[in-house]
Amino acid sequence: MSVALERVSKRFGEFVALDEVTFGVDEGELVALVGPSGSGKSTLLRVVAGLERQDAGAVRIHGEDAAPLGPGDRRIGFVFQHYALFRHMTVFENVAFGLRVRPRRERPSGSEITSAVKDLLQLVELDALSARYPSELSGGQQQRVALARALAVQPRVLLLDEPFGALDARVRKQLRQWLRQLHDEVRVTTILVTHDSEEACEVADRVAVMHEGRIAQIGTAADLLRETANPFLGAFLADSPRPSASAKRIDYH
Amino acid sequence: MKILKTIARLTLALGFVAPIGGTAAAQQKVTLLNVSYDPTRELYKEINAAFAQEWKRRTGQDVEIKQSHGGSGAQARAVIDGLEADVVTLGLAYDIDEIAQRGKTLPADWQTKLPHNSTPFASTVAFVVRKGNPKGIKDWNDLIRPDVQVITANPKTSGGARWNYLGAWGYALQKNKGSEAAARDFVARLYKNVPVLDAGARGSTTTFVERGIGDVLIAWENEALLSVKQLGPDKFDIVIPSVSIRAEPPVAVNEVVAQKHGTSKVARAYLEFLYTDAAQAIAAKHYFRPTGPRSLAKYGDSFPKVPQFTIDQLFGGWAKAQKTHFADGGIFDQIYSTAGK
Amino acid sequence: MSTTIAPPAARHGIPPGLRAARRTATAATGESAIARWILIGIALAYLFLFLGLPLFVVFEEALKKGVGAYFTALRDAELLHALRLTLLVAGIAVPLNVVFGISAAWAITKGKVRGHALLVALADLPLAVSPVIAGLTFMLLFGMQGWFGPWLRAHDIQIAFTVTAVVLATIFVTLPFVARELIPLMEEQGVTEEEAAVTLGASGWQMFRRVTLPNIRWGLLYGVVLCNARAMGEFGAVSVVSGRIRGQTTTLPLHIEILYNEYDFTAAFAASSLLAMLAVVTLAAKHLLERSHHAARARLIQEQQEKQP
Ligand SMILES: Nc1ncnc2c1ncn2[C@@H]1O[C@H](COP(=O)(O)OP(=O)(O)OP(=O)(O)O)[C@@H](O)[C@H]1O
Ligand SMILES: [Mg+2]
Repeated sequence: MSVALERVSKRFGEFVALDEVTFGVDEGELVALVGPSGSGKSTLLRVVAGLERQDAGAVRIHGEDAAPLGPGDRRIGFVFQHYALFRHMTVFENVAFGLRVRPRRERPSGSEITSAVKDLLQLVELDALSARYPSELSGGQQQRVALARALAVQPRVLLLDEPFGALDARVRKQLRQWLRQLHDEVRVTTILVTHDSEEACEVADRVAVMHEGRIAQIGTAADLLRETANPFLGAFLADSPRPSASAKRIDYH
Repeated sequence: MKILKTIARLTLALGFVAPIGGTAAAQQKVTLLNVSYDPTRELYKEINAAFAQEWKRRTGQDVEIKQSHGGSGAQARAVIDGLEADVVTLGLAYDIDEIAQRGKTLPADWQTKLPHNSTPFASTVAFVVRKGNPKGIKDWNDLIRPDVQVITANPKTSGGARWNYLGAWGYALQKNKGSEAAARDFVARLYKNVPVLDAGARGSTTTFVERGIGDVLIAWENEALLSVKQLGPDKFDIVIPSVSIRAEPPVAVNEVVAQKHGTSKVARAYLEFLYTDAAQAIAAKHYFRPTGPRSLAKYGDSFPKVPQFTIDQLFGGWAKAQKTHFADGGIFDQIYSTAGK
Repeated sequence: MSTTIAPPAARHGIPPGLRAARRTATAATGESAIARWILIGIALAYLFLFLGLPLFVVFEEALKKGVGAYFTALRDAELLHALRLTLLVAGIAVPLNVVFGISAAWAITKGKVRGHALLVALADLPLAVSPVIAGLTFMLLFGMQGWFGPWLRAHDIQIAFTVTAVVLATIFVTLPFVARELIPLMEEQGVTEEEAAVTLGASGWQMFRRVTLPNIRWGLLYGVVLCNARAMGEFGAVSVVSGRIRGQTTTLPLHIEILYNEYDFTAAFAASSLLAMLAVVTLAAKHLLERSHHAARARLIQEQQEKQP
């Protein structure tokens, strides 16, 4: 298990955002987390990243209890819905950030950083724009920068919180295919939060459905589509924008 | 408190706070703080230089006199609040009485410590009118004519303006054989002619001189002469009334503070110096009327002769005058609230 | 001095890309050329009347008796002391309020501190009370008849009527300026960039230094300029707490009033011109900083574009 949550609960005041969630992701796996707004998807990612502390339960990363680790020590790559790029830094500097802030002893040399960043930018196909500022990029380009920045620290786990949520349908589609390819290339354990069940089914090895702070169902896309045991789940998947397209995709899988 | 101390130390280190006085005897140079009122800035600047020379000659010690000026009442308040004055030279005895009573840094009988009720030089209340005196203002009773606009400051806030008020009152009292009712009526009519009451004496001078408001400015003679000279000898004339009040700005050593600074001796010498011929000459130059008999003889002629009454004679001293006329709900409050109607 | 706080976005450097967008937006709102010229005319006339003219008069009056008299007036020891004191006061008050402003804005917008509404209200307090009242309150605390006065006296610490008092009063009066600038700015920016930095392994200080500070720098600069202008120009509070000891606790604005009341107009306006020049220098420094930043950025983009085929 690359990431394991054991009966993790998180409350905001009276409100229970995560309700004893138990959930694991295998090494190199890409799991999609779907569910309605407010069901606790972001909260779960933030707990794994260490940006929020759970009230109860344990988070393990590669078998190690993450409790004593701060967000900076977990070797997590986090991609935010609205990119959260450093607006005053160039694309290059954004990607280099995670390397530059390392303690002196572990910090790569200037030339090592340059070549590492160049490689990453090539990987996300943005090497031509390395001197641009975030405000001078399209949404899709910004999100790729965010991804490259998260990958730069060689994370053990990649957490993507609705990475394509703010993009238009066409770009989304391109990017999700591209993400799948990228994942096949680097094979880093990934949790992808999305609203879009089609997207989930298309890119993920497994899909987990959240509902009111719990994991309602988890399985491969095909399993989930077949099984409509859970009435809520049925409704959710039926709600998805293009059921025919997702069905096709699943046949194909 | 730690922050305060740090800032205090920092400013000290940067040489901005010369500790006033300090352990003066051991030091080469001694510093005095003279807390005074507004119209004496120019006067004391000159006197301080003269005294420093004199003190150096007499004792070999350098003395620097720092000056602080403001409205007389506000300055008294500052001393009460802890402004470390070695000497106070204010516009009226009442303000020093307040220091004695509330600040307790000088004795209640301070006024007996120096000659002439601790008043080294005096002034009187006079009128400034526009050049050529177009309204034909000659005496106090012209000020209550309906066609005359009078400029004077608020006696509640300005020490100088209190003298003006009492001057008018005293004139009316003498004119009407001591009738309080007549005096009250006269003063009420006078303040009905005042379009703006500035808070301070310099403020009303500015109103009259620079903003061109009013036909006559009631002011201390020295202030009147100075402003006319500075601002336009060709624009204003000075009128001396038939009788006026003797304005007595007193001086005192702020004893507790001076003792703490170790400056009692030099502070007293400084105030005594004000009575010397040299200082009296400087005072005369700044249009203050000397009180020393010899100086009077010498400079008396340069000031117009005018019969003067004093606070003690007509009002039974400052404490009483203050209470009757200027305290909240006193006569000024009563007549001014009706004057507007 | 009354201060209006404009929304931050209106002032802080607009990226070049946005500028073009603005231009088309103006065209799109479709006001006629005449209307635009009238508006510009009104704005210019207003600026001239309320800024240009007074500034002109200051220098006019200062130089009335000739350049020689002007410089003689400026060489006066008390005036020079007042100038030095003014710089010292600003030099202490501004950095302290920068530290306070950043901490307060951080606590309020990002630190999720409880009761931050109260903190905001408190930080605004000095704007709401008249400086004279602030000065009198200060006396109530530190004056001999006040709360701490007798205790301070007993421990031989003099606060009221010293340079320390002038500095403290100025700090109080200028306290809101940096915080006021930063709070809306930081609120708008949210915490995600900081969270991103933390997940990438940045320490608290690195996050602040490399992410937060650069993001707020223009707002901060503006706050510093406002704070500094007020620190150097403060009159009311300083007038009360300083005791007006000439050549000791009189700052430039106090000294100007003294000179004016002494009918020494040349010196008063000469000193005023100093104060005006200090303001101009501050603004020029701000402008230069901004410009060099934008120029550096433009250069970088240009280089980038040249490299591309
Ligand atoms: N800091 C917070 N304080 C209080 N409540 C919070 C906080 N963060 C999240 N919540 C609440 O927790 C619940 C779950 O939020 P979360 O952001 O995890 O939902 P989500 O599944 O990501 O929704 P969406 O799809 O809209 O992003 C929501 O009801 C939200 O209001
Ligand atoms: Mg979310």
